[in-house]
Amino acid sequence: MKNFLLYIDPGSGSYLIQVIIAAVLSTAFFFKNFWYKIKSFFTKRKPEEEENNVE
Amino acid sequence: MLPLPSSYRDNDGFVFEYQGNIFRYIHPRYYTPYNQLIQSGLYQQLTSKKWLICHEEITDNLKFGFDEGRVLLPEQIPFIIYPYEWSFAMWQDAALLTLNIASAALKSNLFLKDATPFNIQFLKGKPVFIDTLSFKMYEQGKPWIAYRQFCESFLAPLLLMHYCNHDSYKLFTVYPNGIPLEILTTLLPKKCKWNLNVYLHIYLQAKISGTSKKKANSNLNFSKQKQEILLEGLKDMVRKLSPKKAKTTWDDYYTDTILGQDYLNAKTKLVQMCLSKINFTTIIDLGANDGHFSLFYKNTEKQIVAVDGDANCINDLYCKIRDEKITNILPCINTLNTPSPAIGWNDNERDSFNKRMKADLVLALALVHHLAIACNVPLTMIADWLEARGKYLLIEFVPKTDEKVQLLLQNRKDIFNDYTIENFELTFSKKYQIILHEKITGTERMLYLMKRINETA
Repeated sequence: MKNFLLYIDPGSGSYLIQVIIAAVLSTAFFFKNFWYKIKSFFTKRKPEEEENNVE
Repeated sequence: MLPLPSSYRDNDGFVFEYQGNIFRYIHPRYYTPYNQLIQSGLYQQLTSKKWLICHEEITDNLKFGFDEGRVLLPEQIPFIIYPYEWSFAMWQDAALLTLNIASAALKSNLFLKDATPFNIQFLKGKPVFIDTLSFKMYEQGKPWIAYRQFCESFLAPLLLMHYCNHDSYKLFTVYPNGIPLEILTTLLPKKCKWNLNVYLHIYLQAKISGTSKKKANSNLNFSKQKQEILLEGLKDMVRKLSPKKAKTTWDDYYTDTILGQDYLNAKTKLVQMCLSKINFTTIIDLGANDGHFSLFYKNTEKQIVAVDGDANCINDLYCKIRDEKITNILPCINTLNTPSPAIGWNDNERDSFNKRMKADLVLALALVHHLAIACNVPLTMIADWLEARGKYLLIEFVPKTDEKVQLLLQNRKDIFNDYTIENFELTFSKKYQIILHEKITGTERMLYLMKRINETA
């Protein structure tokens, strides 16, 4: 492990990565939705709600 | 009142012990988030779901010697176990609980200021968040301060268990503040990089955080919606993980082994008969395997810790407890010849397994031959160790003629001249009064019910 890591606030490096991940996931989510819309257009069915069971 | 040795990190408050109960002190500087937790209804919401430990506020805090601040008396937890004693499903449920609480907090304009598995204990068969002071006010535009900690403390052990081996959570004992991502990336198989979530949360983060000194605290505007997407992404990732399955010696020990059903029935009857003769509330079941004997007492007033060194057995037991909503059995992984040590600051932060595990009754069924023969522990040392665990002992002696002991001896020299039934009785009767002993029908094995001679051992 590199020594300078010891001097970085553990949260700071992770801020940028969170911005990147959220951007990637939002894009993925957008395309997923887009894909469902195309699929439902051809199958003439309403897109099913993504299962979102929090518990 | 002095804080417990484990309670030094957070200057917003600490936990302390008073007359056998654990209390939590809140410093006035923490009133804003604490009031928000209560007044927003989040406390009510989380405690009604049993996600957060419930507490009562003590009005008379002068008796503790505090002239300011508040004191809470949380619901007490009968047995404390640590993350390095959890099986995969326990880790997974604890990680999801942390994320669910983070999501719920966000809706109440609060957020989690840390994400360590030490904030979680298992109570009544379920994980519960015990750190009432973990909440902080949500700061608009700021990403999650505990994100990296979550990755290193929850994702890292879970990914190791998923990709490498169920036992690899043990690395957490060495890195209780989180397994550094730089180390994790050298341990995970190369194929992991092709999983988008693993790549982003682990590999990319390991790379970026190592080079982003100058980026620290830059003005990144991170909306609440993005934060929710990140949390949902993490939940999704955690839910999809499963332990890497490898058949172990102890899988189906009681259902498959040569000893079979007759032995188990005879032993079960005998155990029940023995235990009907004594009074006890707490039990430690050492070498519990699938929890067969612990489960006798399911949903009674008894409090049981079922301990075994086999992660798969403990995982199956935990899943059974969770699915059947059993409230009084706590599964715990520990290899008994090398139990969890005391760790942390000054070796005082997390107590050793031996210090935590004391009960009215100790079950040591089909255990002694493993300790004495497979691990070379002399009978006197086994008796000393068991004596310190509890007042009553129900112990099975498996003689050398037994097929299982023969199996243990087949590839090694028999250096165990002292391992005889006479010597066993002689050794244990120095520490215990033998209440009764019976042979288990159809075998050479003996069952002993004993009571400790020294009351305060």
